[in-house]
Amino acid sequence: MQEITGLFKIAEILRGILGHFLPDPQLVDICMSLINIGAIFTIISLTAVVLVYTERKVSAFMQRRSGPNRVGPGGTLQSVADMIKLMAKEDIMPAGADKWMWILAPILLFIPAAAVFVVFPFDNKAIFADLNIGIFYFIAMSSQSVLPFLMAGWASNNKYSLVGGMRTVAQMLSYEVPMVLSILGIVMLAGSMRMSTIVAAQQHTWFIVLQPIAFVVYVITATAEINRAPFDLVEGESEIVAGPFTEYTGMRWALFFLAEYANLLAVSVIATTLFLGGWNGPWLPGWVWFFLKVGGMIFLFMWFRWTFPRLRIDQLMSFGWKVLLPLALLNIIVTGIGMYIYEFFS
Amino acid sequence: MVGKGLLEGMRVTLKAFFNKKETLQYPEIKLTMPDRFRGGELKLDNEKCIACGLCARACPNHVIELTTGTDEQKKRHLKSYVYHSGLCLYCNYCIEACPTNAICWDKNYENSRYFKDELDVDCLAISKQKSATVDVAPADKSNAEQEDTLKRREKDE
Amino acid sequence: MLKTETFTLNMGPQHPSTHGVLQVVLELDGETVVQAIPHMGYLHRGIEKLAESRTYAQFIPYTDRLDYVSSMGNNLGYCQTVEKMVGIKVPERAEYLRIIMTELNRIASHLIFMGSLAIDLGASTGMMFGFRSRERILDLFDMACGARQTYTYIRFGGVSADIPSEFIPALQRFLTDFPAMLDEYHRLLTGNEILYHRLKNTGVISGQRALEIGLTGPALRASGVDYDIRKVEPYGIYDRFDFSVPLGQVGDCWDRYIVRMEEMKQSASIVTQALEQMPEGTVMATVPKVLKPPAGEVYHSIENPRGELGYYIVSDGGVNPYRLHVRRPSFINLQVLNEACQGLLIGDVVAVLATLDSLMGEVDC
Repeated sequence: MQEITGLFKIAEILRGILGHFLPDPQLVDICMSLINIGAIFTIISLTAVVLVYTERKVSAFMQRRSGPNRVGPGGTLQSVADMIKLMAKEDIMPAGADKWMWILAPILLFIPAAAVFVVFPFDNKAIFADLNIGIFYFIAMSSQSVLPFLMAGWASNNKYSLVGGMRTVAQMLSYEVPMVLSILGIVMLAGSMRMSTIVAAQQHTWFIVLQPIAFVVYVITATAEINRAPFDLVEGESEIVAGPFTEYTGMRWALFFLAEYANLLAVSVIATTLFLGGWNGPWLPGWVWFFLKVGGMIFLFMWFRWTFPRLRIDQLMSFGWKVLLPLALLNIIVTGIGMYIYEFFS
Repeated sequence: MVGKGLLEGMRVTLKAFFNKKETLQYPEIKLTMPDRFRGGELKLDNEKCIACGLCARACPNHVIELTTGTDEQKKRHLKSYVYHSGLCLYCNYCIEACPTNAICWDKNYENSRYFKDELDVDCLAISKQKSATVDVAPADKSNAEQEDTLKRREKDE
Repeated sequence: MLKTETFTLNMGPQHPSTHGVLQVVLELDGETVVQAIPHMGYLHRGIEKLAESRTYAQFIPYTDRLDYVSSMGNNLGYCQTVEKMVGIKVPERAEYLRIIMTELNRIASHLIFMGSLAIDLGASTGMMFGFRSRERILDLFDMACGARQTYTYIRFGGVSADIPSEFIPALQRFLTDFPAMLDEYHRLLTGNEILYHRLKNTGVISGQRALEIGLTGPALRASGVDYDIRKVEPYGIYDRFDFSVPLGQVGDCWDRYIVRMEEMKQSASIVTQALEQMPEGTVMATVPKVLKPPAGEVYHSIENPRGELGYYIVSDGGVNPYRLHVRRPSFINLQVLNEACQGLLIGDVVAVLATLDSLMGEVDC
């Protein structure tokens, strides 16, 4: 089973080449780590560029428009142009802002968004750090993104931002609980929190077949976690202008944006890994399957965004606590009983 | 069932995703304006104008400023005719008031300008210049219009 | 000692969803609205005063600029008022054309309502769809009078010009497509559970209170009061058509939404009937060039998409109105905002504003 294919093979070849030049195997390891880090950051920054373009195209197509089509062939360079524009923009800090908190917020938001990429299994063995608590690490890191939102909201010295920041805390904290519980079902089935083990366990049956309720709960909570419509109350454009982002301009604002799309990719990757069998799939190489599935998940999230209206904050909370949480708990009970029965008969 | 409406809505957007686009790519494709389109700037035909001033009087917003004079045969003629397009309501009253059909719209809807004073159009000068350079039979109005738009397009390109 | 206090949030005049330049001063207790005071006047142009220095006919283009998404209705109301003063009889064909145009304009206006409600609630695709269909109607208007928004089509004694030959086929095409379009919106928005829960039981206005405050139009009918000027006091030739007036029960945002969606269907049916009955003939009565209504005063009101649009004109026998006042439904409907919003959340203020469908051009006049 463990034949060397795909991304891991590329890494092996690279390692071989480096081995020729560097005498010390430790140096080779360090170099490989640096290359991996570079690859992850490339993925994150490319993600934002590609996903912004995709989002605009998807939204345009769903509204029967043609979307960006001026810069580059088919408008593909539009987000590059936007990035350049954002970099050139004036950096405005509101009077009365809490300076350090205000500056730190977008940076602190970006760090956990980037850090979760460490545990993503892009292909068989193509994983930066195959921690034995991979899922746990992901949940722990992604829950860090609550605080920067509140920091940005508080430090901006703007009432819209503050309302947005408070909404974030309420929303993200309450949706984290059912999300964790929905993932728990998978962990029970796979018997491990290690990403590679979970993917390997799905070689024959994807967990979406065994855990459909968990999948639905996960998709809903993930949408809320990354603050996308119909749960985009944090930004809530028509209500609170842009929430915590209201006072940010230029690159600082772009960092929020980058983190948002990195998070979108992150939850899609986790959905693929946990429910859709990761890199498993016939004929095509593993990483192609992986990115196809991730792309499908991203399309699903975009599809939601461009179809649904936004929920209200009280509805959001009651839906999270009164519907999703019991559903996730029920799923765990059913999974437990099912596993017990399965073991009893086999 | 709860959620059925959500799925139905998703079906609508997915269908729209694969449907034909409804928008036009503006600078390349331009809509043809209908015959009665009111817009752009006033076009004056100096030869038809009898300088009666009815257009200026019909205007609700004093958009047209004209002065008249009389020549040797005691015939009234225009001395100046300025159209302040920045004030225009595009109500068509001036054109309806004209007894000799001497004014019409130029049907050009791209009339944004960089400076405010460019919005004041000296229609009389344009009309005189046109009759001097382009030799078009006055009856063949639509043809002249087409040429005019063609020219403008060439200039743009 | 811990205590909480309310804070003030200025929503607008620069805000994505106040439909123009409305400022709502919100007094908030957390996210709960304690008070929502609308401040208007940012779009005031003094149109009523302008009328006093214009002749009667010259004022028609200014009525376009009141409620700029239903200008046909504004033209109609003003022209009928002046016709009432002078006593002009309008030719049959012109009467039918007026009905067709105003009812089409009602559909266009309600499509804007639907679109802006959708985007205020975060469903931007709904807005795009609404504006797309409205474009079809604007094309028809463009064909008939050469303008897409400020029509000045309806004049004293008739309409400015008969419709061109390609108008009727195009209108029939639109009427055939319209049920499918409406069905699409119902599937995208009306059936959506999120939208239902956002609108249901928010911003309730009781029928009694609505009457006290002077609400008119769909906002009043949503509260269950059967008052439609087209039925109560048929102006023009509305008594010849068979249509029903959709009513709500509770008077919440949902009812206001449903009433408007149903009204579109009724308007389409009126247009179909008018198209069948429309005779040939002239479209303009002989009207003196300079109109001098006899001294006196007159009030006439019509059912505009936003409610009762009334014109009150005082004449001193001269060529200009001595005084002209417009009863603008948006302005009067906006009064209820504070009451309807109390105790709701910020997100609901937007929904209430959108379903009251006040248009700032008309509020500020």
